[in-house]
Amino acid sequence: MLTIALVALAAALGWLAWRSRARATAIENRLEDAARELERLQNAFARFAPLDVIEGIIERRGVSTRSEIKEVTVLFADLKGFTALAEQLDPGRLVALLNGYFQVMGRVVAEHRGHLGKFLGDGFLALFGALEPNPWQTNDALHAALAMRDALTDYNRRTQADGLPSLAMCFGIHRGPVVAGVLGNSALMEYGVIGRTVNLAARVERLTRVHDVDILVTEAVRDTCDARFRLRAMPAVELKGVPGAPPTFAVEGFDGG
Amino acid sequence: MSDSIANIEWGECWLEPTPMPPELAADIRRALHGVLPAWSARLATVPWVAREFPRLSSKSIAHMPLDLWEMIGLVVSQDNSCRYCYGVTRVLLRVLGYDAARVQQLERDLNLADVSPGDHLALDFARRISHANPRLSAPDYARLREAGYSKPVIAEIAYCAATNVCANRIATLLAFPPGFTPVERVAMRLLRPLVARRIRGKLMQPEPLPPNVGPCADVVAALDGSPAARVLRTAIDEALASPVLPRRTKLLMLAVIGKALGCAYSEREASAELAQAGLGPADVAEVLTNLGSPKLDRREALLVPFARETVRYQVPVIQRRTRELSQQLTRDELIEAVGIASLANGVCRLSILLETC
Repeated sequence: MLTIALVALAAALGWLAWRSRARATAIENRLEDAARELERLQNAFARFAPLDVIEGIIERRGVSTRSEIKEVTVLFADLKGFTALAEQLDPGRLVALLNGYFQVMGRVVAEHRGHLGKFLGDGFLALFGALEPNPWQTNDALHAALAMRDALTDYNRRTQADGLPSLAMCFGIHRGPVVAGVLGNSALMEYGVIGRTVNLAARVERLTRVHDVDILVTEAVRDTCDARFRLRAMPAVELKGVPGAPPTFAVEGFDGG
Repeated sequence: MSDSIANIEWGECWLEPTPMPPELAADIRRALHGVLPAWSARLATVPWVAREFPRLSSKSIAHMPLDLWEMIGLVVSQDNSCRYCYGVTRVLLRVLGYDAARVQQLERDLNLADVSPGDHLALDFARRISHANPRLSAPDYARLREAGYSKPVIAEIAYCAATNVCANRIATLLAFPPGFTPVERVAMRLLRPLVARRIRGKLMQPEPLPPNVGPCADVVAALDGSPAARVLRTAIDEALASPVLPRRTKLLMLAVIGKALGCAYSEREASAELAQAGLGPADVAEVLTNLGSPKLDRREALLVPFARETVRYQVPVIQRRTRELSQQLTRDELIEAVGIASLANGVCRLSILLETC
């Protein structure tokens, strides 16, 4: 009788030990999965904010409001006549057309060491020199704009074959200091830039319609870009919220091959 | 950004192996504990690249803790997403007796890794040398000093990080095929203590600074007292003396990489040497401002922008770019260009010692 009781006790203890080990293994696996997921997210976030910002968030287990002043080249891009176009197309085709366009342009921006800072309806803001130091940021932004011009021609050729209308883009580019940091509230946050440089780039982009050109840059860009870019001075126009009438230049091409 | 080994996209190596001269093979074996890795035959046609990178990767140190060497290799390879070096270092750590969980901790989160606070600081210092964004500053150096690391130890820690940066670039740009001996194999388990002893090695005797004339002499001098100074001096001299690409082309690549990394010293050094090679300050300034100039020859017009791309990259993108370049250069030109870019990336990062010490 005692032997049976001891065997039963040993079996029960063995079962308990096996069960707790199985539980520990399951917890370890879940922790492993969580760590892998965190690592994946960390890698994904590196495309949206500088590494030190992401690491700061992870180390402090929270978002810092620390900001810094950086020299950045800001590119605003927008579609011309898109509002009218949007009224003609059914929503599904419109969204497909727009997403395809964002996909193509996002790739071009990344190829030129920029990153998309924000989508603004049918336009977007791209930053050069914001995530990592980039002494060639002005040239990169201008090459990106020219490459986007070519990429749009290709994209239009493809979408026209599907019976969709052509798109037309315009760009405003300015270089200068910005305040960079994590912006937002407790519900929605993003790494972004603010300041006069951003506002001026936006205004210059709007000015492309006045001058009927597609790529317009400021004097700060002209002064820091490769002399092989072909630029044409535009008549001075007063811009809302900007003192004086800042000189602007249309970008016609690049002579460096 | 760090990445786990399984997530690193990696292309096919297109450089076919070539016959290896016996003396070159012997040099490589000497540097790598008797091992002649498969990749060495792919570089054999440009002997300095095949010989100097194993030497740079060998423990030519007299001061820093031996255990830190492989750990730095792991964190730097991870930072550079070098699948080849990452895999090799992982295997080395396992052979040296680190269990899988400890290696995983190092990979996952340095903050949680089972290392001493001093080692943690040293590993973070090495990782930030590799990342170079932002570039390290005097307070970073001071923290290591406060943790008890002497100046020669810190110099060797920086050297270890910088040489891993070099090795990562060679392996990544040329897409060395990853393939490693599983440490779990029974034979490997049995032989592990013997192999570990050989790999761990021992500290060398401190050495006086070797004759140190030529570009980046101050960076080499920052390693005074360490055998690493001799190894680095030889690597720089061999690289510049090789006849495959003109010296001017190689100096231009160094200047571009210096500029990309905010390393004014390397930029200045290369510019001074370029002046002797007939390229005046205005011409150099033009190249550095625009990554191009009508004064560049065909190869330079390709290699100057390429040098910039080797500083920070996404692995698939840089492997694709290197492969594209291989269509426009001879095999030896490409290997030498990759060797120069890799070495320059290491030297420019190591030059942080001049600013922080």
